[in-house]
Amino acid sequence: MSWRWGDRLVLVAAWTVGISLCVIAAAIVLYMGYRGIEYLRPGLIFSRPSADQAGSGGFLDPLLGTIILTVIGIVLAIPLALSSAVWITEYGRPSWLARVVESSIEIVAGTPDIVIAIFGLAIFQTSLFAPFSFTAEGGGVYGNSFIAAGAMMSLLALPPIYTATRDGLQAVPGHQREAAFALGKTRITTIRRVLLPSVRSNIATGATLGISRIIGSTAIVLLLLGSTLRIEAQGSFPGINVLRGTGSSLTSYIYENSPAGEGGAPQKAYAAAFLLLIFVLLLNLLVDRIGRAHADSSGLAPIGAVV
Amino acid sequence: MIERLRKPWPDHRAERLLGAVSLLITAGVVAMVVFVASRAWPLFEHNGVSWVFGGGDFEAEVNRMTAATTNPAAAVFHLRAWPLIYGTLITSAIAVVLGLTIAVLSSVFIVELAPARVRRIVIPMVRLLASVPSVIYGLIGILVLVPFVSNNLVTTHEKVSLQSTVQLTGGGLGVTAVILTIMITPIMIALICEALSSVPPSWREGAVALGLNPLRAVRAVTLKAIRPAIVAAAVLATARAIGEAVMIQMVSGGKTFIPRPGDGVAFFFEPLRTLASAIVDYRDGLNSPALGAAVYGFALLLLFSAFALSITGYLVKLPLRKYQTRG
Amino acid sequence: MHRIRRLSVALTVAGVVGVAAPVAASATSLVTISGATSSYPLVQLLASKYVKLHPNKVRFKITQGGTTVGINNVKNGSDTIADVAQEPTSADAGLDFYPIAKYAICVVTNKSNTLGNLTEKQITSIFTGKTKNWSEVSGATASGPIQLITRTAVAGVLTSFKSLLLEGKSVAPSATEEATEGLMRQQVESTPGGIGFLSNYQADKGTVNPVAANGVACNKTTAASGQYPGVAVFFEVTKGPATGGAAAFISWIDHSGAAKKIIASQWVPIG
Repeated sequence: MSWRWGDRLVLVAAWTVGISLCVIAAAIVLYMGYRGIEYLRPGLIFSRPSADQAGSGGFLDPLLGTIILTVIGIVLAIPLALSSAVWITEYGRPSWLARVVESSIEIVAGTPDIVIAIFGLAIFQTSLFAPFSFTAEGGGVYGNSFIAAGAMMSLLALPPIYTATRDGLQAVPGHQREAAFALGKTRITTIRRVLLPSVRSNIATGATLGISRIIGSTAIVLLLLGSTLRIEAQGSFPGINVLRGTGSSLTSYIYENSPAGEGGAPQKAYAAAFLLLIFVLLLNLLVDRIGRAHADSSGLAPIGAVV
Repeated sequence: MIERLRKPWPDHRAERLLGAVSLLITAGVVAMVVFVASRAWPLFEHNGVSWVFGGGDFEAEVNRMTAATTNPAAAVFHLRAWPLIYGTLITSAIAVVLGLTIAVLSSVFIVELAPARVRRIVIPMVRLLASVPSVIYGLIGILVLVPFVSNNLVTTHEKVSLQSTVQLTGGGLGVTAVILTIMITPIMIALICEALSSVPPSWREGAVALGLNPLRAVRAVTLKAIRPAIVAAAVLATARAIGEAVMIQMVSGGKTFIPRPGDGVAFFFEPLRTLASAIVDYRDGLNSPALGAAVYGFALLLLFSAFALSITGYLVKLPLRKYQTRG
Repeated sequence: MHRIRRLSVALTVAGVVGVAAPVAASATSLVTISGATSSYPLVQLLASKYVKLHPNKVRFKITQGGTTVGINNVKNGSDTIADVAQEPTSADAGLDFYPIAKYAICVVTNKSNTLGNLTEKQITSIFTGKTKNWSEVSGATASGPIQLITRTAVAGVLTSFKSLLLEGKSVAPSATEEATEGLMRQQVESTPGGIGFLSNYQADKGTVNPVAANGVACNKTTAASGQYPGVAVFFEVTKGPATGGAAAFISWIDHSGAAKKIIASQWVPIG
């Protein structure tokens, strides 16, 4: 059958656009890989940056910073997300309250990173929250610490975990719940023993998406983590002093070493960026694997789960 | 007491606890608005709402605010931030319009046209583009694209003719819009693809049976059917675009300026600033009473825009639910 | 299973108590410093030397941000000391300025532009935007439009530059603004037609071309002898008189031979 010219044009356009996207994605990965292999040395991963100059030394501290932030963020986000998902799907009375909570989570999902960071500053610089960072000799609350940044990171991870868990719970067939009730279980026990275990993979997908968002966030780190190259602890209580201290993450390290920050060392920026990209790719593969184990109709659904 | 906590909980206690935890999130959102608004109050006190309009020298006003250290006079708070709003609007508009076209074409390609082998490659590629952190986009922008534009695309003639108004350094509207488009398109592709594959295939097959070629069938039937999804995708992408801060700050040229379409091609080389990138630029000055209030004001405006877009997106997605064939 | 739960509850309680507990009185006091990017290298060196010579007395946390940011931080109490690269003004009432060193402000061009000298009139004319092209500047080996690079408003070096070498006038509004000295240096390094200004510490690094002013080369020797016209002062600024760890640090800078050696290496000691 012969097609009109307009249709042929659209066909060509669609193919071009589709292939171009792949080319761009491949170009980004290949370019970062090329630069990364050029500059990334294992020594960099395990040496600490020198305290005074951006661009000398390695990036062990930023790497640890990213890990600490991710742990704090996920540890705070999972209870919040699970509680809300469970409450909204299994209880949810009165229904207007459930609507309110669901809308709040959608609002949090749609808030830009930078506004969440500003919000974090506004809260953690008040004297009520002074124990979570430190107070300088002049009496002002610094407001920057791992706890502050980590708490805001949990707001980033909350929507993906919530959406994934809620969708998973809604997909559990009703007869599983009814069977449990028939055996005399209370609702909460059913949730604990039957429903939550069956949505484990959804929770895992959501958490992985959340981790992906956390490690990629720069705005929150720039405003809330104090931009010291090395992790500097505050106070003397072991363990907690690191949480109250300042530091950097891979993302802020990349930013500071680029011409937008202190500049000076684009090679280090490339190396750290390559490392970050590898982490993100691995997380992507993980989501893929979990998703494939519980077949979705469209392979792109996990991105939609962030919505 | 511990014994009571250890026994299996009755339902009503569990319900109340879970409900309370869920309400913490709502409390958090309310706190967000209250805290940001209270810090931004001085800006509104001295300017009303007119700080979003134009007409002043923005850079001079910011300089005045930065220099004012304690108890600034009322005149210091005067601000006209239209250049920032213009910058936000124009970068987002270009990115969303371009991105939506690309997204629709790509989604049609992925769902209808591509053979399975090609689809297996394209989908992971799109997901990859969606998950690259914005600072890496910014890094490639500032280390590769900006020097390329500065050395190869900006002519000396343009530099000389605009010299008394603004200096062209390569970073600016063009690079920002291109990278922003690449950043927001994958989100739209995900949504539109999901919607496309949810449309019952019998609808398209009916159109083909009536004599339309497959592409036309898609255009006539499926695309029209997923109009709510396209709008929802556009709304979501807009929210993402206006909130992008770090990448734009790295590649937009570091000067507050309203790019002038009358300058021809140089329009795309002129620097600009957006609300979000301004927050990153002025983040060290938050202790200055006047500048701090202004920055919190920008954040408040972004927050309300995100709210409004969120609500619009939710309202638009409601009709979409009838197309979801699974629970 | 129950033991694990009890243990985790106990740990959580301990953790919460640890966070909420008042800051333990540590033997070391914390001095936070922020401000000028031009004096940051000097203050960083002084602080490291001080900590080496007097261990376990004071801990330093030094950030930058620019002179005005430092002044604001000290005024509202979130920092102990501000690094300031400009003279005190009437707005700084209530703050104590302690001079620690002098520095020279050098006009710099790209390495490929071997411009040797500029008169003060020429400097003013170029930076205010009156002279627009390198062809109008004798001795310049660059061609094309002059690309002005200046600092953002928070910079003390900018304020000092304006009053010392620019006859009090302002830099042309079309100039590119850089947030730190490091970024200014990089921008001049990568712009063949660029011109900017840096403290002599940055200008001496060999990557840009320092230009003499009124026939006098710009380095720490001519600054010390008073010949070079563009010499300004680094201050350490506190809210009211310095106390505690900050006072000890500042008085050490004033009196100790080790501090004087550090200052004399790249900068000019206060007379």
